[in-house]
Amino acid sequence: MAVALTAPSTVPWTMAQMKVAMLRHAFHGRRAQTAGTGAALGALFAAGTIYLAFVDTDLLAAGYAVWLLGWMLGPVFMGGGDETLRPEYFALLGLPPRRLAAGLLVAAFVGVAPLVSLCALLGLLVVGVRLGVANALVAVPAIVLQLAVFVLLSKVSVALVGLALRTRLGAIASGLLNGAILAALGQIWVFFWAFGETGVPDAVWYLPSGWGLLAVRGDWWALAALAALVLLLQGAWAALLTRRVGATRPSARSRRPITAATANGAIVAKELRTWSRDLVRNHQLMFALSYGVCFAASPLILGWDGMLPYAGPIFIVMAAAMASNLYGTDGTALWLTLMTPGASDVRGRQLAWLSAQAPVAVLLTVGFTAITGGPWPLILALLAALLGGAAGLVPLISVYGLIPGTDPHRRAGNPLRTSEDDGGLTGLAYVALALVLVTGAPAALVAIWYGWAGVAVGVVTGVLCYWGFGLLAARRLRSHGPELLQTMRTGRKPETTVASRFAQLPKGRQTLAWYCFGLGAIPLVPQGIVAAVFVANGMLRHTWFLATYMPPGLRYPVAAAFMVLGVAMYATGVWIVKPGKS
Amino acid sequence: MTPALDISGLTKRFGDNLAVDAIDLSVPQGSFFGLVGQNGAGKTTTLSMAVGLLRPDGGSARIFGADVWSDPEQAKAAVGVLPDGLAMPERLTGREALTFLGLLRGLSKDVVARRAGELLSVLELDDAEKTLVIEYSTGMRKKIGLATALLHAPRLLVLDEPFEAVDPVSAATIKTILRGFVAGGGSIVLSSHVMALVEQLCDRVAVIDKGRVAAVGTLDEVRGERSLEDTFVELVGDQDDGIKELSWLSR
Repeated sequence: MAVALTAPSTVPWTMAQMKVAMLRHAFHGRRAQTAGTGAALGALFAAGTIYLAFVDTDLLAAGYAVWLLGWMLGPVFMGGGDETLRPEYFALLGLPPRRLAAGLLVAAFVGVAPLVSLCALLGLLVVGVRLGVANALVAVPAIVLQLAVFVLLSKVSVALVGLALRTRLGAIASGLLNGAILAALGQIWVFFWAFGETGVPDAVWYLPSGWGLLAVRGDWWALAALAALVLLLQGAWAALLTRRVGATRPSARSRRPITAATANGAIVAKELRTWSRDLVRNHQLMFALSYGVCFAASPLILGWDGMLPYAGPIFIVMAAAMASNLYGTDGTALWLTLMTPGASDVRGRQLAWLSAQAPVAVLLTVGFTAITGGPWPLILALLAALLGGAAGLVPLISVYGLIPGTDPHRRAGNPLRTSEDDGGLTGLAYVALALVLVTGAPAALVAIWYGWAGVAVGVVTGVLCYWGFGLLAARRLRSHGPELLQTMRTGRKPETTVASRFAQLPKGRQTLAWYCFGLGAIPLVPQGIVAAVFVANGMLRHTWFLATYMPPGLRYPVAAAFMVLGVAMYATGVWIVKPGKS
Repeated sequence: MTPALDISGLTKRFGDNLAVDAIDLSVPQGSFFGLVGQNGAGKTTTLSMAVGLLRPDGGSARIFGADVWSDPEQAKAAVGVLPDGLAMPERLTGREALTFLGLLRGLSKDVVARRAGELLSVLELDDAEKTLVIEYSTGMRKKIGLATALLHAPRLLVLDEPFEAVDPVSAATIKTILRGFVAGGGSIVLSSHVMALVEQLCDRVAVIDKGRVAAVGTLDEVRGERSLEDTFVELVGDQDDGIKELSWLSR
């Protein structure tokens, strides 16, 4: 094989085969389920994109812009993207960087995400066929080049953030920037409104994501531009690959001694040091902060400050989502917790999480609410309820939904890559988002109806969540500690000897239940309830809320149908896992 | 006298692979017990189950009579463990990691500070005062792991490959420490691939092969007149006397 490797075309082919083999091994058990869920969602989005090709090319260009952003930002937030083949594996082969990058690029086309994107890009072919033979012929290279641009932009942006994460300043800066970008995307309506845009801005045609469509439409130069961009990005990635050596190195400076005198104090001290020294955690914290502030402040562009007070609560929810794999990111260090059953690890981590995030949250909330002059009861109720809820849920979610992390000292050159299962990480983050929001709901409702009583409710539910969820997490850690450790050692769920009822279900029913619980929220909440609210407020053609695009008579029925679908999915899930009659 | 470690019928199956097949071992107090076996023979799995880091499918483990699974607090307080290749609190310095663990073990602040200082200086880790554990070399990781195992002065040490990647000078120091520990009445279970090391240190040996105990007893009982290495190869080697050569390499 060593001889065969010298032929230039063999490197990409070998790497692609290697990737196929590795994916076949990786997609077992829960990872197969997350991958399946991702593929199903992706196929849905791809189908939607192709549908746009029949309806409106402006919308299609906007759709591809969204795909591009997804490729660029997705991996930065969620586990550093696809790293099945790590550049480090080939370090000893002495390949020139460009050939290494070429090989890795070919291998990067193997996988679920590129396949799904390829389907979405078939929209180009649809447009081409509708325009004429020449256009259809151009669509074929355009699809390939466009996909290459997606994949390469993703690789380059991950590599850039990875470089930034080598230094504290870079970690903070990229956290701020990423938070701002994502918040701006979430609040995109503000910008549309501000610029008087009604429809799709022309800019989407001229983003690299629109070039394929331009080419198919007849602007032949765009095809050459795409090819040039691919070469450029390929060169940039090759250059970045050579810079990717070794893991992050925190600076060696004097350390403040641990002054704690109790076991709990020691856990808090350890966690706080990890929060301040781990640049990935620095990045996550800054990201949550930036997201909260930017999201809440962006309506100021329209002269409306009503969202400003919510910066603190949004920060809390985001920070909780970022910490949702708390135990997983520490990897096999869990063995120390197992060897010291007398100390309460969960409580220490809860305290540390609170003492790292609460001051920021309180300052944000009080400062911004003082600027707007209220509504104090609602905001303070949310603050108390969410802080307690998040501090309770973070350890609970991370022990129940543990995604095995890569041990910190074994991570490769990509510091964002804290786990091999980035799909699982994403899912867990969303679960945390949703559950933490729910813990704020009772206090918020009481505050809306009865004012200051809400704050009392918030304090009570906050304390209860902190105490109760912490207790549940500690119990789980005690009863399933060895299984969690084994999961982290092997990266796979062990066949547990502590059998759960769910595990006894047949495989097919388990998968079905996962889909029902995992996806039921999508039709129920955004496409159902939220869309109905938008329709009621006359907010039409709103981002991805399908009901708002419907003709007048169909809007409420569509939203209602989605709600029914969501409830039906949950009901099915419950019916599958509920105890049998026996 | 209660054995320091008493393993009976420990069994573990990973999928179709029976990793540990009903192993019985008894480590008397005051003994230096060597566990030898090929890669994948089940040593690490056995030791992990013995100290409560891996739940067995069957069997039990007792540390000074306390069951590891039903009475974990008492059992785990009496044992110091050096696992192979597991993470540490990575973003702490060596001294901070020891302070953290000492406090977790319920030692007082002063005792922790004194012992941590001594351990760091004996194991020559005190030069790396500002270095975080994540930046340690493999050998340094072994040494800080050993320090955490010793910190709370347990009566039993369970050490998985303690000398791997450790330089000869540090290895000599560690051997002295371990011999002193046994001389003072402590008990040690140690796993290793290095037969010479086991012969040098241990008074009792168990040979593990394919998840079973192939031989167990005092060092002399197991090796007889020969070296431990010869005995080991005969016990666990292939039937066709499998020292193979690479024809294309040894031309």
